[in-house]
Amino acid sequence: MSVEKLALYPGCPSEGTALEQDMSTKAVFEKLGVELVEVEDWNCCGAAEAEDPRLVYALNARNLAIAEREGLNIVTPCSICYYNLARANNALKHDEKLREEIKGIDPSLEYNGTVTPKHILDVLVNDIGLDAIRSKLEKKVEIKVAPYYGCYLGRPPETAFDDPDDPVLMDQLIELIGGENVPFSAMKTKCCGGPLMMTRGDLAFELARKILETAKDAGADCIALACPLCGMMLDSKQPDIEKALKVKFDMPVVYITQLLGLALGIDAKKLGFDKNIVSTKRILEKVV
Amino acid sequence: MPIKTWELDPNFKNEILNELGGEHLTACYQCSTCTLGCPITEIIPSYNPRKIIQMSLLGMRNEVLTNPDLWICLICQTCTARCPQNVVVGDVLAVIRRIAEKEAKAGKIKIESPRPLFEEAFLHTLEKYGRLYDMGLALEYYPKREGGTVSGMMAMMKDYKDFGMRMFMHGKMGPLGGHGLTKGMLPSKIKQREVMKKIFAWVEEKEKEQ
Repeated sequence: MSVEKLALYPGCPSEGTALEQDMSTKAVFEKLGVELVEVEDWNCCGAAEAEDPRLVYALNARNLAIAEREGLNIVTPCSICYYNLARANNALKHDEKLREEIKGIDPSLEYNGTVTPKHILDVLVNDIGLDAIRSKLEKKVEIKVAPYYGCYLGRPPETAFDDPDDPVLMDQLIELIGGENVPFSAMKTKCCGGPLMMTRGDLAFELARKILETAKDAGADCIALACPLCGMMLDSKQPDIEKALKVKFDMPVVYITQLLGLALGIDAKKLGFDKNIVSTKRILEKVV
Repeated sequence: MPIKTWELDPNFKNEILNELGGEHLTACYQCSTCTLGCPITEIIPSYNPRKIIQMSLLGMRNEVLTNPDLWICLICQTCTARCPQNVVVGDVLAVIRRIAEKEAKAGKIKIESPRPLFEEAFLHTLEKYGRLYDMGLALEYYPKREGGTVSGMMAMMKDYKDFGMRMFMHGKMGPLGGHGLTKGMLPSKIKQREVMKKIFAWVEEKEKEQ
């Protein structure tokens, strides 16, 4: 499938903690010739904190409806936003009564089920395609990468677009740009601990520690990921984890779009490489 | 401790079955696949989602609703993905948490975990602004968790002083990134905030109907 224009649902972290993911997503899609139009006046998807599915359905009906009126499919860089958009879409698409009820809350929530929400990783590999990307590569990024997928890309089955236990889409992109995937199967889809960060920091740190430690032991130059909550936990919180557990990782954590951007010849500054908390200098030195 | 059969509530399973997400509870045949793959069980061996489900089926309502383990689920969906009976374990646990929160609000049980406070503070920023406002969340959550403004502020500083400085120095918050002087410090507000109010009012109405 060729894609020319998509509605971008950036998600709340795009405005702050995941600025580099937002910057690199926009830069990469521009370079690949796919126009991204921001969902106008988008609202939060409810994240993992909206435990009532009805709240998730109503919140996302509004975002889906805005894209529908533009006649565009939605793409998002955040795994949790993707999960919420996709499950709301499934529920609304197949349940006319629910659609009517939600429309009754406010006319702006009128949604007819014509939008397909996708995660950027899915669009990059399955819609734009590895061949199309290959034809635009300008550089090689010869680094060892631990590809970390986290939770919502391969599960739950209802919304998954990659394998639940051994996902491959990010691996394929890393190989494509000249990188090497280190053995990381045991950690690829383990939770980063993010959802417990504010309420059980000790457990969250322990979960993140395992991932960082495994990447380091496997000889990775960096961890690549595709979710801003994982980014917050593994990168932004890494110094806190090191301090609390008296360990040293010094493990750069970057978004897959940042790495892909380097191979597409995009300037590191435009990809937000100065925004990652753990220094990414080591990565930039290996771009040839 | 043996189960006190005379204290069981045979209707508890129906309470769960009738909620969105709890529909497949009775399909569980206790194989334990959910628990074997759980990343929390890996750290805390006594953490056991299978047991929570069996206790729910038996009608051990009070024991289930006051179980502190409910609040350390990561919602990572590993159990849901692996369940051979499609119980949608993650959603079932979410349903049980929602019932527990309702009971706590009605003063019938006490929840020790701060997670309901965190979720509430998160959703409050969303209801007010349409988007997550980290600082507003923290300013509501920490004082409530610590039971006082001063102790709350101190706990917040302990967790987030270094983190905040990192965000500032990397231009993710404040003026250094060139995205505006107050970036991340003031809430990002959507225009149609009145729709958010209507959505939350609708959900509240729905909860009352249940």
